[in-house]
Amino acid sequence: MIKTLSQRLLGPVTLVLLVLTFWLGLWVTPPDKIQGNLARMLYVHPAIAWVALYVSFGTAAIASALYLWQRTRSVVMDRVAYCAMEVSTVFIILTLITGSIWGRPTWGVWWAWDARLTSTAILGLFELAYLALRRANDDPELRARRCAVFAIIAAINVPIIHFSVDWWNTLHQGATVFTENGNLLVHGIMLWTLFISLFAFTLLFFWLLRARYRVEVLRAARYDVALDEALAQRRREGVR
Amino acid sequence: MPSADLTDLTPVPAPEVKRRGRGRTIGVLVVLALAVLALLSQGLLHSLNYFETIDQAMAARAKLGTTTIRLEGVVKPHSIDRTSSGASFWMTGGHGQEVFVNAHGSPPQLFQADIPVVVEGHFTSATSNDFYGTQILVKHTASYIAAHPKRVKAPNGSTR
Repeated sequence: MIKTLSQRLLGPVTLVLLVLTFWLGLWVTPPDKIQGNLARMLYVHPAIAWVALYVSFGTAAIASALYLWQRTRSVVMDRVAYCAMEVSTVFIILTLITGSIWGRPTWGVWWAWDARLTSTAILGLFELAYLALRRANDDPELRARRCAVFAIIAAINVPIIHFSVDWWNTLHQGATVFTENGNLLVHGIMLWTLFISLFAFTLLFFWLLRARYRVEVLRAARYDVALDEALAQRRREGVR
Repeated sequence: MPSADLTDLTPVPAPEVKRRGRGRTIGVLVVLALAVLALLSQGLLHSLNYFETIDQAMAARAKLGTTTIRLEGVVKPHSIDRTSSGASFWMTGGHGQEVFVNAHGSPPQLFQADIPVVVEGHFTSATSNDFYGTQILVKHTASYIAAHPKRVKAPNGSTR
């Protein structure tokens, strides 16, 4: 009952929160003292990056680890890892695009080879490599195992991305929310809008993951049917 | 129809299956691996630090000479002089050390006094503390503060 209700509400709630984010971000929140209206990217870019790096890639890495662990190994874990990785790839690309759009008027350049940007681009390439690896093997078990190992190796890059702004001198700004001393560097309605955007984009991820997972289940079912159909066809040809 | 001995049941090897799709995928993986290596060499291994702070540059001043670097500091208030070719200004480090910057090229939209900037360029001579810049980048902080926090809303909706 609760499961069905939450599944039905996921889409509408996500949509309402996204609309609320854009309304607050574009009309209600004040411009920033330094960045002016450019600061409105604060309600889009960090939330997309949050989903790309932590929520979706994290889901893929955890599902991969659970697949590799004998006690929790199942085709469900493999599918969740694959679907989450696909969604994460889309969000990583959006992270780089929105970052560039923000960077050009603020920094003065579309791109800078600093540690944060470069390590994020590398994670994007790792994700593309993961998707290529999915297609490199026809044996489902071998494919799932290899991809799970690859996802866990690629996950090493996530803490590097996170701490890059603390470890090295980067053009990219430091943390605004998860600061070392716990102080929030954004206030009032701007902070609340940022939190709502983080929550809205997180829900968007779960909605996309659910939809993508259903497609994957249907595709697997269709594959079995297609195989049966092909065998039946060959049998009919043999009889003729 | 070729004539064949239908009673010959000797096993024959299966025909070789062409795996063009797999070859293409492995090709893609190789290209991606090369791209990762290129990114690593370009972005991280070359310079893990995107810039030198003024304090770091001053500490290694003799060694730096006139090599091209990215120098970071805060634009000193009331020191900006916009020229036809760019801007000149004083930049301050964390411990109060100052460097005079003469930069060519149009500064970014957010360039202003009291903001952290990264200037790409070089010191004009081995001993001088004047810096010639070819590009100014603004390194904005992580703080977000409302432009007019005390602005009040009038009953008609306008702000004052």
